[in-house]
Amino acid sequence: MSGNATKTLGKGCAPPGRVPEGTMRLYSMRFCPYSHRTRLVLQAKGIKCQVVNINLRSKPEWFYTKHPFGQIPVLENSKCQLIYESVIICEYLDDVYPEKKLFPCDPYERARQKMLLELFCKILCYQKTSFFGGNCISMIDYLLWPWFERLDVYGVADCVDHTPTLKLWMAAMKQDPAVCALLIDRSTFLGFLNLYFQNSPDAFDYGLTC
Amino acid sequence: MSERSARSLAKGSEPPGPVPEGLIRIYSMRFCPFAKRTLLVLKAKGIRHEVININLKNKPEWFFTKNPLGLVPVLENSQGQLICESAITCEYLDEAYPGKKLWPDDPYKKACQKMDFELFSEVPRLLKSIFSRRDKEDCSGLKEQLCKEFSKLEEVLTKKKTTFFGGYSVSMIDYLIWPWFEWLQAMELSECADHTPKLKLWMAAMWEDPTVSALRMDVKAFQGFFALYSQNSLEAYDYGL
Repeated sequence: MSGNATKTLGKGCAPPGRVPEGTMRLYSMRFCPYSHRTRLVLQAKGIKCQVVNINLRSKPEWFYTKHPFGQIPVLENSKCQLIYESVIICEYLDDVYPEKKLFPCDPYERARQKMLLELFCKILCYQKTSFFGGNCISMIDYLLWPWFERLDVYGVADCVDHTPTLKLWMAAMKQDPAVCALLIDRSTFLGFLNLYFQNSPDAFDYGLTC
Repeated sequence: MSERSARSLAKGSEPPGPVPEGLIRIYSMRFCPFAKRTLLVLKAKGIRHEVININLKNKPEWFFTKNPLGLVPVLENSQGQLICESAITCEYLDEAYPGKKLWPDDPYKKACQKMDFELFSEVPRLLKSIFSRRDKEDCSGLKEQLCKEFSKLEEVLTKKKTTFFGGYSVSMIDYLIWPWFEWLQAMELSECADHTPKLKLWMAAMWEDPTVSALRMDVKAFQGFFALYSQNSLEAYDYGL
């Protein structure tokens, strides 16, 4: 994959030319989790692809010929065929490049994966208020929080950068007294992980002074 | 299906036994448009199946072991595998069973159908909102929104220049969206398609499809169901039996 670490194209930029035979082009944005999905699949399947980053606040006019509402990600092939919606793109890539299948072959296992995805989408959709249960923190927020706190520690919290409601939720959670009181110290946690992966029995006491 | 076996199962009912070899079971409800999708695919592909209808206002406790969300449709096969979510059940049936493939084989054509299918996504919610309005409150705003959604579908047919959403014959996308169009007449909303002539022609063509006509539900049955449902009657699901 080439071009991911390139500047975005914005209003006034010239449109890119035809996609060369034997490659794909992905219209993307480096911090968008939906684009990220597609780039993961491209990478995992070893597909030759050029990434063109789009400035989402100042979209090139020609980009609306790639997607009616100018959304990313969009995949374009050398036949000028356009595919959008991250899950549809990922499924298309798995179909077109069958050598390294990512979806299982068994129909029931495929269905199971799609059901899991549905559940995950429901989590994203259920987030219509500041907290998952309403305007105040409640049980569901505490039940989900530990995994999101770890995103920060693993240094991958950027993946919620383009899901503003989720990002706001994380910021709001960090203000909660209970969450604050128990916030994992990043360097302590990394120290733990480091020892844990070495199978050290001292991992679990890392950072304790007494 | 006999009237007795079509009666819905409710709280206190015995859980059904395992699914016999060679059959697939669908947990359904006679008037549910989501379940109708799966029934259409079962019929279109000639898949041997048995139907267990669920009383959705008074669900059997055992039903939550089939789907923790307690929703229909759910497929259960003879290996005890459970599949939920209507679109996922339809895709599963297309992949697991031989015969006519409803999704196209060509990856790009399949992706196009799935992209077009996204354009339908607001219709179920809108129809449900109109349906839930009590005392015939002013639905003109909702009807206008519905017309807008229909225009999006009209655009697809205009671009494709084919009768059906997938091409010259019925395919998966047509069956996935059909059940809500079946409701239009019963809900007296047929006029919402007046400004979308290609969509109207598509509806007429769908009525002619052997699968659609074999599973056609009488308008009076729908209306009887709606009336009882709006009164919160537990009998709604078995109306007409």
